[in-house]
Amino acid sequence: MPVPRDAAESATAVMTSVPAAVQAIFQRSRGELSRRVGTLEEMVAAIVEGGLDESLRASAERDAHKLAGSLGMFGLPLGSELARDLEHALAVPGGPAMAEAPRLAELVLMLRSQLDEAPSPTQDDAHAGPPQSDGRALLVVSVDSVLAGQLCVEALRRHLRPRRAASAAAARAFVAVEAPDAVVLDLDLAEADGEGLELLTDLAGGEPPVPVVVLASSDALVDRVEVVRRGGRGFIQRTQSVGHVIEAVTETMERRDRVKPRLLVVDDDPAILQALVALLTPLGLEVTTLADPQRFWEQLVAIAPDLLVLDLDMPDLDGIDLCRAVRADVRFGQLAVLFLTAVGDPLDVQRIFEAGADDYVNKPIVGPALVTRIQNRLERVRLYRELAEHDSLTGVGSRRASTAALERLIAMAARFDQPLSIALINLDHFNAFNDRLGHAAGDDALRRLGSMLTAAFRGEDVIGRWSGQEFALGTYGMTRDDGMQRVAELLESFRAEQFSGRDGRHAQMSFSAGVAEFPRDGQNLHDLYTAADEALHRAKAEGRDRVVAACSPLDATAQQPHVVVVEDDAVLASLLVESLETRGHRTHWVNDGQDAVAALAGAHPLVVCDLIVLDVDLPGLDGLSVLRRLAEDGVLRHTRVIVLTARAGEREVLEALELGAYDHVAKPFSVPVLMQRVRLAMTR
Amino acid sequence: MSARHILLVDDEDDIREIATISLEAVGGWRVSSASSGTEAIVKAIAGRPDAILLDVMMPDIDGPTTFKRLQDDPQTRDIPVIFLTAKAHTADRERLEQTGVAGMLTKPFDPMTLSAQVTAILTADAQGE
Repeated sequence: MPVPRDAAESATAVMTSVPAAVQAIFQRSRGELSRRVGTLEEMVAAIVEGGLDESLRASAERDAHKLAGSLGMFGLPLGSELARDLEHALAVPGGPAMAEAPRLAELVLMLRSQLDEAPSPTQDDAHAGPPQSDGRALLVVSVDSVLAGQLCVEALRRHLRPRRAASAAAARAFVAVEAPDAVVLDLDLAEADGEGLELLTDLAGGEPPVPVVVLASSDALVDRVEVVRRGGRGFIQRTQSVGHVIEAVTETMERRDRVKPRLLVVDDDPAILQALVALLTPLGLEVTTLADPQRFWEQLVAIAPDLLVLDLDMPDLDGIDLCRAVRADVRFGQLAVLFLTAVGDPLDVQRIFEAGADDYVNKPIVGPALVTRIQNRLERVRLYRELAEHDSLTGVGSRRASTAALERLIAMAARFDQPLSIALINLDHFNAFNDRLGHAAGDDALRRLGSMLTAAFRGEDVIGRWSGQEFALGTYGMTRDDGMQRVAELLESFRAEQFSGRDGRHAQMSFSAGVAEFPRDGQNLHDLYTAADEALHRAKAEGRDRVVAACSPLDATAQQPHVVVVEDDAVLASLLVESLETRGHRTHWVNDGQDAVAALAGAHPLVVCDLIVLDVDLPGLDGLSVLRRLAEDGVLRHTRVIVLTARAGEREVLEALELGAYDHVAKPFSVPVLMQRVRLAMTR
Repeated sequence: MSARHILLVDDEDDIREIATISLEAVGGWRVSSASSGTEAIVKAIAGRPDAILLDVMMPDIDGPTTFKRLQDDPQTRDIPVIFLTAKAHTADRERLEQTGVAGMLTKPFDPMTLSAQVTAILTADAQGE
């Protein structure tokens, strides 16, 4: 049913008059609101002086309650949140403890600045209504209300629309009501372990996926690898400034926006333009409309669309003229052009194609037909672009495209003070493999590695094929250790792949890799490449089939970390040695407790290492006795020990930890878990 | 059809004022208001509104007490009441819900959508009976 004209007009009037009235009332109530914040300031001062009496507590609670109930109505939702936090803190019998004073002071301070920074009519158009009404929604998930408050203030300053959730459950409730444009997730949720990570998985993997930037303490157990695996778009330490965090979020959102295909539609009929916007915007397309063909060229250059939709019949300049002009310019030779025509006149159709158009659709526009044609066209555009930018055999980026992408990634890492790891991956004995199984099998190996890389790395990561058998990989936000871990995991699965060649021969394949980190191993792509390449050469020299870290002047020792495995079970020992060597560690295997003491203890030990993996159950001398000797001789002061214990051996574990073991893992264990513990033990 | 009539009860001037503008301009309600529970009871009996929007925390007699008195009086028993509360705690909300009100709205409210929320609650309440 059409809306009557007067109703539509009065609706418009309401849209502007109500916010204006709210603003006017706000300006009038400012004095009273300010007085209430004043009570809260008095309350904080009283707590600090140790003399918050009951009457002040009660009136502060009442004022906090009133502020919580009203500020949001005036377009200050953060103000309401802050006041509510204060109200809750004050609801405790006897009032908040002295220890809470700093947090409360912070809240009151922010509340005051919320009120002071709200626009006054002299600064701002009173008709603008409540501020932040059309910004993009940012959800901040943190139990730390001070941090969350600061992030919200910063987000407001950048014209975002912040919302807060203090738990994973609250965050889910928020998202169910309104999908945010981005989420900042503080992983130090004081809830059950893994709650934050689960939330991350759900948000990043949801439909549509929400970009999530993760905050964590530098010493948190959760690492970047896990965050990236679960689809996190960024990983920032909590010590970074809030400005930094919000800037990273904005960047992430903008990057996502840029991925939207852009359409430029030129038609002199505004009704058609409106209909197309209504039809195409929900499909995730960014549609720009133009009713005046005279402004065509300036718009075309400014928007650089992926698809151009032209009306055939327009006054002055018609679609054919525009299309010819587009095709005559080399910059737009590849641009897809689709025509809207009044009726399917065969002559028109011929003219359209002669002018260089790709397709046409008849008016009146039938929604589904147009959508299909446009999507086909865009799909084609995407394909052409991929052909140019991607290696046709493996599907990863071409050398040219990935070099440019890596440069961008390095610039971004520099700007946001984030690490970045660059890996060079080179297939082992590739020529011999080709000779033995044939080139088809060689291609198959390259293709499979390409698709495994694509599956394992995504989002910000850059993957490129740099030469016949060499791939380059850039992972944003990852240290060298993180990068090595992920490449080693890839190697473990790649090595398990079977390739079949001519004459029914089968073979397996491995690769070697060198990993470097920005900025410690190099400030630019050239230096990072050189460092990673040097590490790759060492990986090859040490027997291939492993991942080796670059060594920079910053590293104390130029040697790979050395791990001693003390284990009497030969099968288990070889499994551990192989996994450790895959990760670029040098290893030494000892199968007897007595031998272990002889090698590792004493004033001048035969073997000096960075880490010992020690089985408790050993012949010769049991593990705990070995550990005791190592403790007595001071070995544990510079070497960490991970003890492998029997499943039910709680007493063993306690004793081992008392003796100075760094960590313990119960048998039977999964090798990846043990490798994770090894990584943690290696990071100082 | 004449405009539906709602009685708005809140002790705070600014909230009363904004809610009035919002309900009148956006929702087309006829609004009368009261600044205390006692005044609300008097106006409810005299004006017979179609609905009452009632603040929970008020000096003198609070929202739940006012609601109880309205329920006890046959003249006002059938008027649907919506609580307006700034309490965010689930326990508080549950306790309020158990009083038998038609629904609850949270402060701060959005002046542009308040009326739609009120209508939604009243519609759901009417269907539930």
